[in-house]
Amino acid sequence: MAEQFPALIIVVPLIAAFFIPLIGWWKKQLCYPWVVAVLVVTFISSLGIINTVMTTGKFSYRLGGWAPPWGIEYALDYLSAFMLVIVSFISLMVAVYSKKSVEKELPEKTVPFYTLFLLLITGLLGIVITGDVFNLFVFLEISSLSCYALIAIGEEGAPIAAFNYVIMGTIGACFYLLGVGYLYVATGSLNMADLAVILPNMYHSKIILVAFAFFTVGIMIKGAIFPLHIWMPDAYSTAPSAVSALIAPLMTKVAAYVMIRIMFTIFQPRFSVETVPVMTILGWLSFIAIFAGGIKALAQTDLKKMLVYILVAEVGYIVMGVSVANKIGLTGAILHILNDAFMMACLFLIVGAISYRIGTRDIHKLHNLNKIMPFTMGAFTITALSMVGIPPACGFFSKWYLILGTIEAGQWAFAAALLCSSLINAVLFFRVIECAYFKPMEPAYANDGGETHMAQRDEAPLTMLVPIVIMAAGIILLGIFSGNIISSIIQFAVPASF
Amino acid sequence: MKVIALIAAIMTGALLIYGIEEMPEWGDPNSPASSHVSPLYIQEAIEKTATPNMVTAVLADYRGYDTLGETTVIFTAGIACVLMLRKKRKGGGD
Amino acid sequence: MLDYVIGKYNFWIYVVLMMIGLYAMMGKKNLVKKLIGMNIFQSAIILFYISTGVKKGGATVPILMGHAQGHGHQAIDVAGYLNPLPHVLMLTAIVVSIATTGVALAILILIYRRYNTLEEDEILKIRKDTGV
Repeated sequence: MAEQFPALIIVVPLIAAFFIPLIGWWKKQLCYPWVVAVLVVTFISSLGIINTVMTTGKFSYRLGGWAPPWGIEYALDYLSAFMLVIVSFISLMVAVYSKKSVEKELPEKTVPFYTLFLLLITGLLGIVITGDVFNLFVFLEISSLSCYALIAIGEEGAPIAAFNYVIMGTIGACFYLLGVGYLYVATGSLNMADLAVILPNMYHSKIILVAFAFFTVGIMIKGAIFPLHIWMPDAYSTAPSAVSALIAPLMTKVAAYVMIRIMFTIFQPRFSVETVPVMTILGWLSFIAIFAGGIKALAQTDLKKMLVYILVAEVGYIVMGVSVANKIGLTGAILHILNDAFMMACLFLIVGAISYRIGTRDIHKLHNLNKIMPFTMGAFTITALSMVGIPPACGFFSKWYLILGTIEAGQWAFAAALLCSSLINAVLFFRVIECAYFKPMEPAYANDGGETHMAQRDEAPLTMLVPIVIMAAGIILLGIFSGNIISSIIQFAVPASF
Repeated sequence: MKVIALIAAIMTGALLIYGIEEMPEWGDPNSPASSHVSPLYIQEAIEKTATPNMVTAVLADYRGYDTLGETTVIFTAGIACVLMLRKKRKGGGD
Repeated sequence: MLDYVIGKYNFWIYVVLMMIGLYAMMGKKNLVKKLIGMNIFQSAIILFYISTGVKKGGATVPILMGHAQGHGHQAIDVAGYLNPLPHVLMLTAIVVSIATTGVALAILILIYRRYNTLEEDEILKIRKDTGV
């Protein structure tokens, strides 16, 4: 059983997704427990995988028993096992949360919604686990296709945003495919480990350079890395809340993972850093991204829009950590993938819960929210502190490593940008907290009867509240145990070539 | 927008043409693409998979997992259309 | 120079097709035209892959003839058959491209239902007028 976990983690959600239309045809209410049960199995498998990796080191799983360069293999090392745990845990939490929000936002579409939801997760897991560059493309397209559809059924303006995403996403995927094609022409192989062996002898080749350029641009589009994020704000902010809570933290992080894989596993740092100036370019782009994202976020009054622009800046942090290309910076980037996935998921879950209960996401209409939804706002405050970088919460630690990494690389401007962004985040979140906690209630709020003078306690439903509280607790726990996480997983997840 | 599109297209084209220079001659049987992984497919496919058509052998056997992904893509697209286009049964037409 | 172009004309053709597709995807105002551009773009990549599988000098389609199962022990001449791998990859990529087109068309139907037009600037105008 244990040695089959790598296969199970993909096959179980995949087959389960095929069954959802049948189950939904029989009894619609069973879809939700089915999805949650499947994701529990997935999460257990991911724990099994990381346990195996931690006890026996990295291993590979041959699909169909074909030897790697000819067949497809799963390559499981610390980094991919770590990402699997993140993806499966966050998707489990979002799935638990999704019940009420789907019932409210998409009452007629539960069955296809959950089918695509599982397919999206399958795609993301597949991207992380696979050791074959073409197989990665296939999974990328599974996740993207389900993503397009899930976004398109959102609120006003969602179809347009989804169509723009289709166009941009296809350019990204095709660029990735071109990169694969060029590598194939130059080497004749599609296996990541095999490519890593062959490529160092041909780093001078122009074909390899072009392939690398197309890989980078393709992943930048898919991961909404500045300045190719233009499709992202509209798409993520108009999607249904359960969908944005899933894709906002995960799609960008998985793309960041692919970026690290390509730059430091398939290619070696000596190519990615020395032969081409791509790291300098990426570093300065993320420098701009941090400020541009923060400033755009300041201009928003819609809470979800604000979060989406913060996400642009947060992706900038990760890319910055990758771009300084030293061990500490990369540790920070990988730790921030974990922390930011938690923080972003938590924030998007909270926004979904607020718009479920209050019916608005306008920052200025959130008066007395601490009385109405005390637990949700408590979680929001914890996450906000983490985003700003207050020590016990996890956001501080990844930022600390990122800053150390930029200093070690001698990039003082980057370190300053990271510090400034903490300040911007403080302003952004204090604005919301001020409205929610300290603004006197306007009498106009009383829309349910007229004479309501005290806000009624009206907490989010339990299925929404539990994931939010778990995520908020997770943010604190990740902060407290971040030393352990780094020493037992992340330091091995940093590519060995550093 | 048209200008940006034109610039993007030309830049992409220029990058691709830059790469062409070192591409192996078209149809060269000794190019890496034809000499690293693929000869084994041609030589062993019949023996290992009992399929005379090598494309089928690779598609359904060596890289069968890609094909599973491919069918999943079709399924995804089908369900995506159901999700987006199915209407409530009350209005009838637009 | 001419030899240089002709010797690798497969690449030149796909580069041109790809530029046309990319331009249409980004520069056209009509959403269906964008979609057609996307198809041209994907076809260009498919042509590129297929052309990498070609072997000159008498190679034929990768289907074994006269090697009955079990006693095909005489060595199979690798140069006699085309490279099957790009074909396999492109079978998958064609399916992906069709599926993407399908999803994109479904999204276009959603857009048309809502705005009654598929011209990007008209949609933007409608959205501006309604204040969304």
